[in-house]
Amino acid sequence: MAVAAPPLPAAPPSSLETAAARLALLLTRGGSDLAEASGRGDLEFEAVVGLRPLPPRPAPADAWAVDGGQALVADGRCVQLVVTRAARVRFRSGRCVLEDEGELRAAVLGPAEAAVARSALQLPGLASDCAVDVNLLRDRWEWDAVERCLFEAEPGAIVLVDGDLQPDWRIPSTFLASLLERAGERGVVLVGVTKHSSLSRGGAPLLGQLEVEAAELFGDRARWWAPLARTRPDVGYGLQVVAARLDPDARFAFRVDLPGDVDPEPVLGALAALCDDAGFPGYPYPLAVADRLAACPRWLRQEVRMQLEEHFHRAGVPPQVRERAFADRHDLMERS
Amino acid sequence: MSSEAGGPSVTRGRLFGKNVLEGEFRAAPDEDLFLGELLVGVDEGTGRRYLFRVVDVTYGTEHREPGWAERVAGTLLGDDDRGEAGAHPLYEQSRRTYRIARCRCLGYLTPDGFDFRKPKSLPTQFSRVVAPQTTDFDFLRGRMGDLPVGRLRSGESEVDFAVGIPGSSLASHVGIFATTGMGKSNLLQVLAGGVLQSQGRYGLLLVDPHGEHRSALARHPWATERLRTYAARRLPNTNTLRVSLAELSVDDLRTAYDWSRPQEEALFELERFYGSTAGAGLAWLLPFSQLDDLAPFREIDLNGRVALNTLQVVHRRARRIVELDCISADPNLSVGGAIVRDLTQGKVVLVDVSGLGSTEEVLVASFLARRILDEWSGAYLDEPDRHERMPTVAIVLEEAQRVLSSNRDRESNVFPRVAREGRKFKVGLCAITQQPKLLDDELLSQFNTFFILGLADEKDRNILRGSSKQDISALGTEIQTLMPGECLLANLAAPFAVPAKVHLWSEVCRTTPPPPAPRLAAAPNVSALVD
Repeated sequence: MAVAAPPLPAAPPSSLETAAARLALLLTRGGSDLAEASGRGDLEFEAVVGLRPLPPRPAPADAWAVDGGQALVADGRCVQLVVTRAARVRFRSGRCVLEDEGELRAAVLGPAEAAVARSALQLPGLASDCAVDVNLLRDRWEWDAVERCLFEAEPGAIVLVDGDLQPDWRIPSTFLASLLERAGERGVVLVGVTKHSSLSRGGAPLLGQLEVEAAELFGDRARWWAPLARTRPDVGYGLQVVAARLDPDARFAFRVDLPGDVDPEPVLGALAALCDDAGFPGYPYPLAVADRLAACPRWLRQEVRMQLEEHFHRAGVPPQVRERAFADRHDLMERS
Repeated sequence: MSSEAGGPSVTRGRLFGKNVLEGEFRAAPDEDLFLGELLVGVDEGTGRRYLFRVVDVTYGTEHREPGWAERVAGTLLGDDDRGEAGAHPLYEQSRRTYRIARCRCLGYLTPDGFDFRKPKSLPTQFSRVVAPQTTDFDFLRGRMGDLPVGRLRSGESEVDFAVGIPGSSLASHVGIFATTGMGKSNLLQVLAGGVLQSQGRYGLLLVDPHGEHRSALARHPWATERLRTYAARRLPNTNTLRVSLAELSVDDLRTAYDWSRPQEEALFELERFYGSTAGAGLAWLLPFSQLDDLAPFREIDLNGRVALNTLQVVHRRARRIVELDCISADPNLSVGGAIVRDLTQGKVVLVDVSGLGSTEEVLVASFLARRILDEWSGAYLDEPDRHERMPTVAIVLEEAQRVLSSNRDRESNVFPRVAREGRKFKVGLCAITQQPKLLDDELLSQFNTFFILGLADEKDRNILRGSSKQDISALGTEIQTLMPGECLLANLAAPFAVPAKVHLWSEVCRTTPPPPAPRLAAAPNVSALVD
C-alpha cells in the first residue's frame, strides 16, 4: 500500500526575496504622504502636488553655475588630508565666457585638527565646537563661490548651484539669509538643481511618479513643473522647492530650489532655456560644465599625493612612517 | 594639401597613444582628416620628425557615459523629424567631441633631416602633429627613380613632390592592380611616357589587345623618335605585324591555348612527323592545315597514334592560326627580329593586336616574350659587354592572370620563366590585372614593384598584402577608397608604400617638352681640324 509522503515545509523566503517584495510594494502601492529621506524634516509640503505646464522663456543673458568637488588624498583614518575646490562657470548669451575650476584647497581633518580646520574656514558664527568634515569644507567654499558669483553677476542673472539651496547644516543660517538678501537686492536669482532627489511619496521616489503623471496629463514631450514644498523660514522669505521637467527630451525631472519670494514659473522658464544641450537635455548645461571643472579625478589625487610625498621628504618623514600611516590596506590586502 | 614650405606649422592634433609602429592622435572635431594622409609628429625633445600615415579616423568624446553620443544623435534626429532642427544645440562641441586618427608610423627623420629611419622608438607623448613640409620628403627624392608616374599624395591632396620608380626596377617586374576605371591604362601610358623619354636606357613591349594605346601614345612629343607601333590589321602610321610560322614554337601554342594531354601528344607527334621537311618552328602548321581528309593521314602517316577527334581539334586550331592576317608562311619574314631590334635601341614597342582573339593575342605575346628573353639571355651568356649596354626591357601583359595563374602549364609557358629568370637578363614583366587573386602566389612574390589602384575585392587586397615589398597590412581601407588615378606604390626603393596621384596622360603629353634636336654632325673639314 502506497503511503503519501508528507508535504515538505515551504522554504522561508530569502532576504533578497523579502527585500524585492517590499520594494515592489513601495513602487506600486501609491500613497500621498510626502517626505524627504534625508530626514532634515524642515520641508513643509504642499497639501496637493499640482502639475503645471511650463512655457519656455528666453535664456537669461547672464548665467552662472557653481559646483564643488573633493578628494581624499591621504587616509590615516584618525587623520586625513583632503582637497576641495569650487568651480565657477559663466555663460553669456549662450557662450561660456568663464571657466574657473577654483583653487584646490587642502585641509587636514581629524579629532585633533578641528580647531585649525574651523579657523581656516573663516566663517563668522560657526559654532566653536562644531566638527569639521569634508562636506563642511566643500560646502563652505562652494557657497563662497556662490557669493562671489552674486557679486559679479548682472541684474537679472541666474546663479545655479548643484544640489539644494541649503548649505551644510553647520553653516550659520545668517550666512544664507544674508546671501539671499543680497541676491534679491541685486536682482539675481539663486537656483539649486538636484539631479537625484530623495523626495518621496508613499515611500517611493516622488519625481519618478510625477514624471509618469505628467506624461499622462501633458504628453511625453512636455515641459512642466509642480510646487512641492517650502522650507527654511529662518532665512528671509525662505525657500521653495519645486519639481520640474525642463526640456521636452529630458530623461528626468529634477528637484529645483528657489528663493521663497520669486515667481517660479518665469524663473523655471528661463532656466529651461539653459537646458537645451543635446548632450543633456533637461539639465542646465552651465552646471554640467561646473561639475566637470570641479571634479577631482584620480589623476588629480595622485598628483597631490606626489606633492605631499615631496613635502614629507623635505620634512624628513621616513618613507616607512608615511607608508605605515597612509597605506591603503584595502588595496594592499587582496580581497577575495 | 597644407604642406608648408617653412614657417610655423598649424597643429593638426596631439599624439596621445599606441606604440612604436602605430600612433593615435586627437584632433578637433572639425579637423578634416583623410585616410592615407601623411602627417608629421614633431618630437620637440629629440628633434625627430615622425612620419605618420592616417589609416583610420573615428569619433571621440569627453563624455564617458555609455551611449552618450548615440543619445545625442537621437536627440538631434528627433529635432529633425519634428522640423525643429537646432532646438538642441550641442554646446562647446569643439571641446566635448573630437576626432581620433589612427596612424601607421612610417619612420622618422633624424634631427638633421638627412636620414629617414624605420620606426624603432616612440615619439614623446602629446607631441604636436602637423602637416608635413616639403622638406620632410627630401629623403625620398633620391629613391623616386627616373620613371616619373605622378605626385606624392597625402589623403586627397597632392604634394609638390614627384613620385616614380627607377627604370632598372622594370627588370624586377611591375604589377599594376586595379578594378575597372581606376586608371590602369592611364598609369601604363604614363609609365610608357617615362620610357619614351629615357634616352634609350629602357625598352617597353606593350601588347595592346584593345587598341586603346595606339593613338594615345602617339600624342607624346617623343613618340616620333622613340615609339614603334605594329598592328595586326591595317592601321595608319603603323608597321604591319606579320609573324612567320617559322618563328613560332609549340610552346607558344601551349601557352596560348588550353590543350588536353592527348592534344599535346598530338602536337609533338605532328612536329615529329613534319620534322625538317616543313621548315622551322610551326611552319608545319601550313601543310597540316591544308589537309582535306584527316582520316587517311591519321591511319597512314601517323600510324593511328593519334585519335581522330584529337587530330580534328588540332587541325581546326591550325587552320585558324594559319588564316590569321598577322601570320605568314614566309620564313623570311621576321617581325620578331624587328621588334627585338627596336627594343635593344630602347624604344617603346606597341603591338596593337586589336581584332585578334584573346588566345591569338597570347600567342603573339608569348612568341615576342620568348624572342626577347632569348635575345637578352643569349647576350648575357655569350656577349656580356653587349648585354651591359642593352636597355632594361619590360613586357606589358594585360589581363596577366591569363598567363600567370597557378594552373598554367609552367613547363611551356614563357611568362613564368621571365618572372623567375628575367631579372638577371634585364627582362621584366609588367603585369596588369583586375584580379591579382588569380595570379600565382610564387610568381607574384617575384614582383618587386606594385602599383595598387582602387581594388574593391578583399581577396585581391589580401593577396597583395602577402606579396608586397612594403607593409600594406593596415591600408586595406585606403586601397578600397582610392579614387581613379590614386595609387599606392610599393617597391624596394621607398621605405614605405608611397601614396601617389598618377599624372593624367593628357597632361604629360601637354607638358613634356619635345626631344632636343639632334646635334649636327661636324663638317668633314671641321672634324679634320679637331683630329
